[in-house]
Order: sequence, then C-alpha cells, then structure tokens
Amino acid sequence: MELLLQTLLNGLLMSGVYALVATGLALSLGVVGIVNFAHGEFLMMGAFLSYLFFALQGLDPLFSLGLAFLAAFLVGGLVYQGLIRPVLPAPELNQMLLTFGLSILLQNLALLLFGADTRVVAPSYQAATLTLGPFFLGAVPLGAFMLSLGLLFLLQVFLTRSRLGLAMRAVAQNRLAPGLLGIEADQVYLLAFGLAAALAGVAGVMLSVILYASPTVGFIFTLKSFAIVALAGLGNLKGVVPAALVLALAEALVSTYLPGGGGLVEAVFFLVLFLALVGRAWRSP
Amino acid sequence: MKLQVEALETGYGKAQVLFGVDLEVAEGELVALLGANGAGKTTLLHTLSGLLRPWRGRALWDGQDLSGLSPAQRARLGIGHVPEGRQLFPLMTVEENLRLGAAFLAPGRDGEGFARVYALFPRLAERRRQLAGTLSGGEQQMLAIGRALMGFPKILLVDEPSLGLAPRLAEEVLLALKRVAEEGVGVLLVEQNAALSLEVASRAYVMEHGRLVLQGPAHALLEDPSIREAYLSL
Repeated sequence: MELLLQTLLNGLLMSGVYALVATGLALSLGVVGIVNFAHGEFLMMGAFLSYLFFALQGLDPLFSLGLAFLAAFLVGGLVYQGLIRPVLPAPELNQMLLTFGLSILLQNLALLLFGADTRVVAPSYQAATLTLGPFFLGAVPLGAFMLSLGLLFLLQVFLTRSRLGLAMRAVAQNRLAPGLLGIEADQVYLLAFGLAAALAGVAGVMLSVILYASPTVGFIFTLKSFAIVALAGLGNLKGVVPAALVLALAEALVSTYLPGGGGLVEAVFFLVLFLALVGRAWRSP
Repeated sequence: MKLQVEALETGYGKAQVLFGVDLEVAEGELVALLGANGAGKTTLLHTLSGLLRPWRGRALWDGQDLSGLSPAQRARLGIGHVPEGRQLFPLMTVEENLRLGAAFLAPGRDGEGFARVYALFPRLAERRRQLAGTLSGGEQQMLAIGRALMGFPKILLVDEPSLGLAPRLAEEVLLALKRVAEEGVGVLLVEQNAALSLEVASRAYVMEHGRLVLQGPAHALLEDPSIREAYLSL
C-alpha cells in the first residue's frame, strides 16, 4: 500500500512539468493552428541554458528559470516570424515537415555544440528530500510541481482576465471574427507561439535538475506532449492538466510494478496515445 | 460620415463575382441590399471589411481610400461587420463575447457598451453567464450584433441576420437594427427576406449576378411590380 501511494505521489509530482510542456504545445496547436514537432527543442534549449549558466557561472537554476523564459520567448518569436508565419497558408503537411525539420536541425546543432552526453545540473539541494510520514518527496520535483502549477494558474488568469488573453482564446475559437473586432491575428499568433516556447523553456530548466540536459531530451517531451494533448482533446487547454496527470501516473505505475519497468516507461505514452485515439474513435463514430 | 463604393469588382480565383458595384451608406440610415442566393451580397461585405481584396474599384470611408487596410484597421476606423453565420466564440460566455467586441475597438467603454446592448436585447442580459454556443439561433444573432455594437461602429454591415430565424424573431432582430440606425449608426443590411427588410429600411439596392439592378427609397421598391413579383412573391 505504501509503495502504491509513494508511486502515485511520484507520478503526481511529475505531472506538473508534463502539463507545463503540453500546455505550450496545446497553445501553438489551438491558437496558431500549427503542429509543432520542434516544441520539445525549446525545452532542450532551456535545459542547456540552465546547464551552461550552472557549469560556467555557478548560477543557481532558480535564476535560470526567468532567463530561460525570456530566451525561449524570444527564440519562439523569431521562429514564428521567420519560419512559421510564411508557412501558415501552406498545406498542413508542409507545416509539419517544416517543424519536423527544425526539430532535427536543432537537435543536431545541440549535438555538435554539446556532444551526446547527458548533463545534469546538480545544485546543493538537488538530492534533498522531505519526509511526510512514511513517504519521501524530492525537494526539486516538489518545487517544480508547485512552480508549474503556479505558472499554469498565471496563464489561466492571463487567458481569462486580460485583453490579449481573451484575444488569444478568441483566435482559437474562430478565425474570421477576431479581425472584424480589431484584433490583428498575426500579432496574437506571435505572442502565443512565444509563450508556448517560453513555457517549454522554463520546463527545460526544471528538467535539467530533475532529469538531465541532452540533445534528444526535448524530442521525448514533444512526443509525450502529443499524447497528453490528444488525450485532452486537440487545443483543449483545460483538459491538459488531467491528461498530464494520467500519463505521469501511468508512467510511475509502470516503472514501479512492471518487471524491467524502467526501460518501458518511455513507451507508456504510445499506449496512452493509442488508447486516447481509440477512445475518441469510439465516442464519435 | 459616409461609406462609398465605386465601381467595385472582385471574385475568387478566376471566378468574377462583382461586376462594378456603386453604392453608399451614410451614418444614421438603414440601407437594405437585397438579392437572391449567390448574387454577390456577402462577397461585397467581405470586400468592404477587408476580408477579400478588390480587383478593381475602391471603397471610400469619409473620403479615405480603404485599399490595403487590414480588417482590424478598418474595424478601428468604425466599420463594424456582423458576418454570415454569426461567427461567435462558442466556448466563451455571452459577456466574454461582448467584452471582446469592445476590448480592441473601444477599450474603457465596456460599461457604456453593455448598457447599450442589454437595452437593445434584454434577453442577452439574462443569458450573460451562458456559453455562446448553447444559445438559440435568435439569441446568437442578437449576440453577434451586440458584439459588433460593443466596438461603437459608425457603419454596421449585417449579413443575413434573419437567416434560420422564426418570423417573429427575425422581425425582432430587424427592428433592433432599425433602432441602431435611429441612434446614428449607418446600417447596411444584406437580406434575402425582402418584405421584412423593406419595412425597416429607408433605402434599398437590389443585386443580381454581381450587379446592382435597382435602387431607390424602400417604399418605392415595395410598390415596384418587378420587385413584388421576383422578391415578394405577390
């Protein structure tokens, strides 16, 4: 029983970061309408940024969080202006090929610059744990979980309270009307894409401590995020958090209970994606 | 202020839809644009609000050429458009839809706008917390008009507001538009329901195959035998 609860607890803590990354993907999908296979690469950049500052300057990853947010927002904005915007009127396949190509390019750039090794950012508190009765909570995963939920809450406030947030939801729900209401859709797309990248960038800093930084760390999260977004319903932001929880819990259970589970964890999202798609097909014949 | 259309031609791809349309609407008047399905009425409205580029000819707003302005820029000049099919934000509440109407066109005037829209359509006030997608057809049409009014347009282009509505509701919506015009907004009303439109309009144009074939005061058109036969089936 204790093992089960500890497992669920681990899954719960991981779900925050998953939700953060997947929310970014859902934003670019729902608002901009682009299938961004390079989403995880923003995360990878955040992770390496955290690693570089830590290794070269001894900068605590806590400070890298803000820097990664800004840097990823900037890079996301540039990617939108330079690559995404010109391809928006093109067929979806062209868009997907572009983002897929960008993903491969960025991964190989990282490989060239940093090599294939996994790099961990290990501040003094990395292994700190809190004990809660019979359970152990990693301080870093707990902090990442709280921070992710905090950021998602702020995003929710932005989307419901602010003018630009409202515009962002509007663009996601209707393509024709926003222009007639004085909203320049293109600027909203730019903001949404930058924000999506920024969320991934912040998550990357967290993962540089919880997991590691490596050229391919982002792509795994792109795939996991797709599974989460498919489970939540394409473009449905509210469904992302519960869907992220489902994936994280499933992974935790597999890693604890399945013999050789550690190696199978990275396949769980395929199962989730498969079941989500089958479930959808059954529900809407 | 006046919206003037001069020798406007446009179409989609190679298919020409409008063949030289001249028309004008001034503030405070309700002008009906009648015509059968496919005559080019919606195409004209799309060209006026910048959703479609003109091939030749131009639209002038208060003497200023609108060519090259985006829909958002035209909206900021005071050209409101209630598009065909209402185009609401279905997952937002009535109030959020209305707030969006004001957010970028009349920031800070929400209070005034809400009062105006809820006075015009009291039913929307009752439904303010309801999701737009769950409203009835008539309520959705009211919301679409209300949302456009939240931006305090000087000219309002309204595309087939009576489409799919029960006769009583259609009349309610068109009478509301008449009140909007009486408050000083110019309304260009595109309709297939000629009888009802000519009741509320002061002037009207009739469009056939991308050309304006008739125009005049609404009461005169109501008496016109060709109109009575073709559009009023009398």
